Amino acid sequence: MVIRARPEVLIPGGFDDGGVPFEEMISRPFKRLGIYLIKANCSGMKGLDRYRDVIPDFDLFVEAIRRPLPVTARINTLKTDRDRLLSRLRGAKVAFTPFIWYPFGLRLTVEKPGNLLESLMGQIHIQEEISMVSPVVLGPKPGERILDLCAAPGSKTTQIAMMMENWGLLVANDPANTRVASLRSNCERAGAVNVVVTRYDGRRFPDRGFDRVLVDAPCTGQGMARKDLKVLDRWSLKRSLGLQRLQRALLRRALQVTRPGGAVVYSTCTFAPEENEGVVSWALGQVRGVRLEDASVRGLAGSPGLAEWEGSRFGDEVERCTRYYPHQNDAGGFFVAKLIKE
Amino acid sequence: MSQSSLKNRSLLQPMDRARVVEIMGSRFGIPPEAFEGVSFSLRGRNVWAFSLPEIPDLAWETVGLRVISVRGRVPKPTTAALQLFGRHATKNVVDLGTEDALKFAAGERQRISAPVEDGYVVVSHGGDVLGCGQYLDGELISLLPKERRIGRAEPEEGRSGRGDL
Ligand SMILES: C[S@@+](CC[C@H](N)C(=O)[O-])C[C@H]1O[C@@H](n2cnc3c(N)ncnc32)[C@H](O)[C@@H]1O
Repeated sequence: MVIRARPEVLIPGGFDDGGVPFEEMISRPFKRLGIYLIKANCSGMKGLDRYRDVIPDFDLFVEAIRRPLPVTARINTLKTDRDRLLSRLRGAKVAFTPFIWYPFGLRLTVEKPGNLLESLMGQIHIQEEISMVSPVVLGPKPGERILDLCAAPGSKTTQIAMMMENWGLLVANDPANTRVASLRSNCERAGAVNVVVTRYDGRRFPDRGFDRVLVDAPCTGQGMARKDLKVLDRWSLKRSLGLQRLQRALLRRALQVTRPGGAVVYSTCTFAPEENEGVVSWALGQVRGVRLEDASVRGLAGSPGLAEWEGSRFGDEVERCTRYYPHQNDAGGFFVAKLIKE
Repeated sequence: MSQSSLKNRSLLQPMDRARVVEIMGSRFGIPPEAFEGVSFSLRGRNVWAFSLPEIPDLAWETVGLRVISVRGRVPKPTTAALQLFGRHATKNVVDLGTEDALKFAAGERQRISAPVEDGYVVVSHGGDVLGCGQYLDGELISLLPKERRIGRAEPEEGRSGRGDL
């Protein structure tokens, strides 16, 4: 079991950094490039200034958002094994760095990873580092019944299939027609044989009795700003609150279709507390006998969920959720909660 | 809802696994053990493979992986199937060097001499499967689905018109 640290930022262990403080380590590359940090300037970064007081090292946060995301991929163990894949990459002269927190994640030094033969073979899946967190927190096992309620385009579905070793029931649901096409093609590429694709509105998903359910909810996507800064322009409080209604209904349904003793992971790629703690704390009050479990991952830096925000009190319990900010791991932004149904 | 799930179920006919094992065994020498725990069903003119404890009572789009098309005279394995099971193949396998593998990946035809019979072949690179090809009179045709092909997206120099691959 991971022991919960209390400081604002959970510092990952295992860096070969000679004991350099985390903050300094993160700012080093800028100094090397001759860039010196000035006070965070949020122009063109609509909707981020509201987090100035809750995000640790806000200047570094804003700076990280301006940088493009590293290229990352996940090794698909349904098709190959880690050693074999790594030696293939070496042979192809593709430089890589394995994640410190997850043996199947790699950073790649290549411009078009989708053009690698290993991608074509389905041995690797191009996936953002932080998005690999939710399946890891979900912890699906071979033979279980798992539901991925908002599944398209299937990065997490295929990761779950691989964790299940292609055995057991994995229902991948998404109502969006065009997105389901990419979900299907990703499942094909991954070689998943235990996936059933459905297209229900997740709020009314009919089946029950799942061991684990993933709700990787539609959200305002602020955490993906490094991929496309335009997501920030589209943000408004109204949009967050509109999505909140949908997110709450999805999470409530997920809890209803989970068997007693089962687990639900709720994740988003946005920073807005309205779509995160505001959804989780509401659901705790809706379905009886649900508690939160620690959602942090050993080796990844993150911050605890917010117990309160702009006058709303979500409760201390939501501090067990984890917020991942882009500057903490040089990755995307993410929110993860793990709910256990008694 | 329950109506469409009934419709689904009637579309999915159980398929004799011995028949599938025979198809993959006689052409590629893939041993029956490679399909352990996998069931097959026929939906339209395609064979689907799945490893599920049960098929849930849902209005589903797909169940498992499409592995064989039985549309033509000869059953054609899908690239997805060969990428998963083809590593166990012992015959009718063409292993390409990097250069030729990239051509295959781009969907190109190439002349190649390989100790295989005419017909569908497992195409690999460094022992890892790229997908399904067709060998015909000394020529290897890439049968990779269009959306899976990589590279050579731009029209080649000296060639008129747009890239036609
Ligand atoms: C963040 S994306 C999911 C990403 C996916 N889990 C992955 O890892 O590739 C959110 C998804 O929720 C889907 N969605 C939107 N409304 C929904 C609803 N009512 N029920 C279920 N899914 C819904 C969207 O179509 C979208 O594909």
